[in-house]
Amino acid sequence: MSNGTEDVAQVSSVQAAEAAHVISTDVDLQIAGEDDEEMTPLNNAVRSFPFDAVKDLSSKEVCMRCIFRLFGVQVPDFSLSQPAILRNFLGEQTDSIKQLEDTEPKSCSICLGVLQFAYCNDKERSVKKESANDLAVTIADLVKKEGYQIDSFLLEVSLPPIISENENMAWLYVKNKYGSELWFQERSLSNRIYAKEALKSALANPLETLLFCRMSSVSSFRIRLTYTHAKATKTVQNFVERNESCTENGLDSVKDGSVSTSEANTITQRSSDGLLDNNSSEVYGLPLEKVNEPCRLECLFNRTPIYFGGRYLKYSRNVSQTRWIIDDERMGEASIEEIIAGNILPMCRGDNYKFHAAGREDIDVRMLGSGRPFLVEIQNACQVPSELFVKEIETKINNLENRLIRVKNLKVVGSEGWTLMREGESEKQKQYTALVWISRPLQDEDLQSISSIKEMQILQRTPIRVLHRRSPLDREKIIHWINIEKIAGSSQYFLLHLCTQAGTYIKEFVHGDLGRTNPSIGSILGCRAEILQLDVTEVKMDCFLDE
Amino acid sequence: MTNDSINQADNLETEKQVREKEEEEELRKLLVPPIEDLPLIPPTAVDSNFVAYFATDCTKAGHDQYVYRHANGLCVIGLAPTHVAFKDEGGITAVDFNVGKSDRSGFKVTGKRKRNAQHFESNTALCKVCTNSDSYIVRCCVKGSLLEVNDRLIKLPGLLNSSADREGYIAIIMPKPADWVKIKSSLLSLEEYKKLREAS
Repeated sequence: MSNGTEDVAQVSSVQAAEAAHVISTDVDLQIAGEDDEEMTPLNNAVRSFPFDAVKDLSSKEVCMRCIFRLFGVQVPDFSLSQPAILRNFLGEQTDSIKQLEDTEPKSCSICLGVLQFAYCNDKERSVKKESANDLAVTIADLVKKEGYQIDSFLLEVSLPPIISENENMAWLYVKNKYGSELWFQERSLSNRIYAKEALKSALANPLETLLFCRMSSVSSFRIRLTYTHAKATKTVQNFVERNESCTENGLDSVKDGSVSTSEANTITQRSSDGLLDNNSSEVYGLPLEKVNEPCRLECLFNRTPIYFGGRYLKYSRNVSQTRWIIDDERMGEASIEEIIAGNILPMCRGDNYKFHAAGREDIDVRMLGSGRPFLVEIQNACQVPSELFVKEIETKINNLENRLIRVKNLKVVGSEGWTLMREGESEKQKQYTALVWISRPLQDEDLQSISSIKEMQILQRTPIRVLHRRSPLDREKIIHWINIEKIAGSSQYFLLHLCTQAGTYIKEFVHGDLGRTNPSIGSILGCRAEILQLDVTEVKMDCFLDE
Repeated sequence: MTNDSINQADNLETEKQVREKEEEEELRKLLVPPIEDLPLIPPTAVDSNFVAYFATDCTKAGHDQYVYRHANGLCVIGLAPTHVAFKDEGGITAVDFNVGKSDRSGFKVTGKRKRNAQHFESNTALCKVCTNSDSYIVRCCVKGSLLEVNDRLIKLPGLLNSSADREGYIAIIMPKPADWVKIKSSLLSLEEYKKLREAS
């Protein structure tokens, strides 16, 4: 080739690329509209397809949508029973219409029927939809049947890996066979449209129309279409096996097995760009292995968790924070998480809940005052309740007959509720009231010596009652202040009001835990001190404090 | 602002105050216990949290020890009130954890999994308590992992004389749950112990 002709070729390919760009924009426009007149740009695009290549691919069990993709044209949602586009496109070769209409394969050898909207449903029944719209109707019906209330959606498609292998093979085939022709060079390889993208864009518009909301990449509601195929893994395995046998048998396979070796190579090449130059065109054998059964389609919906924040009060000394089962035996008569989340979950019709709280109290400790912040995470909720509805849930919980707990300021919060609740959780101050008995009568000096305590550091060895599951450590804690409140009619019983750093073991601070917490109320007063009751009266956090 | 809205704001303010006051009163009611319901002398934390067992004549006559077992399976080991060491003039004067092959107070057990914990048999020596006239070996009584020894006793051996059942405990041992049934059968219950020692 002389220098002169090379220059000319370059110039013409640049012009062609520009032209192709204009065409593809027009095609996008066409897809949005449904007016017949606007079909013309698409028809133009289609008319630029080389008839021989289309016929060639079509005869090799490749469906029309895959042919469109291979030529870099976005798949319009046409019904295959009325291939008007095809007819237009073949206007110049009218005698071939009939021939091509008949060649739409039963199951495409590249997309395995995915872009023909054929699949096997969960009842093991083969389904073939006429158009993307029909498939969208099925999906939208499922969304409605499961009762999701949504304001946007996100579409995810997962295809068996064999489809992308097929795609690569087909591209290689086209490249090898038609690489030297002008129309091929006009089409930049970056125009490749993957089956996954083709399916997504075919479904996007009809789904938006049917679900009355927009598709969004940040939507909390996810539609996931998972296509799987029994053949997929087997075929790949065959390639690998063949590949192995090649290396094992050495010379023999090089001699007779040019096809299998090359096929195996294709598999190894697929992770690179898959379009390495190879001059022998029969290497990329089309048709691919004939596939009769379509992919299995599983359609799943999921909503990202929604969060309810609030504060809880606990009036019972026999209710644990979370469900607590030891050897099949329930500890306590109920749990806070079950009462609260168990009432929220059915209202949102979610799959599951998780309960989180800013710290916790023992089963026999009441939670009073302004309550303790908590967060309920509802997974895969069908419904996000309105403000009014949330108030109803709160009222319902607070009017339960047993009055074990109470909920305040319940509301739907964003995932930032997490940060709010975790913020300062470890530094927070907590106030308690303990009912204490000492082994001698309380004296006035005791009241003074106790109330003079401010910001006192104490050392707590891990209490014996939790030592079996917690690390043995010396834990330094701060007692911010303490007060004694006398109880009329008793000299040895009194109420102890105290404010401590989060994580202080209060029971041990009173009785001393065999001297393992030091100082303790007992050691300060120089007598035996016993704690009979404990209540948390304040968790000093701003989180969920306001209505 | 109109008078109405001022009134409304005032009403809201007073409503809020009323509600706060009500909540305050409710809290007070909940916190102050009815005095007549309280026992004259409440059970001690040790009584209510542990079950007491005894090992009498531990390898030698009069070497009586207690095993306080917490519901979580941990066992506190100490000297029973009838231990022969308490009968010596002046009581216990020193405690030495350096017995057997190693110093029992020299191991730092760490982590939830209790790394470094030594595994001892029931007759393994825990420490030696000394009086003015004699010394006595204290044994584990329970087969298991030694979680901690009461090292305050090294400086304050007198805790044994004043409160052997509380601050004067000797050690904390964690037996394997599977071993407990067998260990328990080797120990006396509080009633059996009382009966035995009252009789003698």
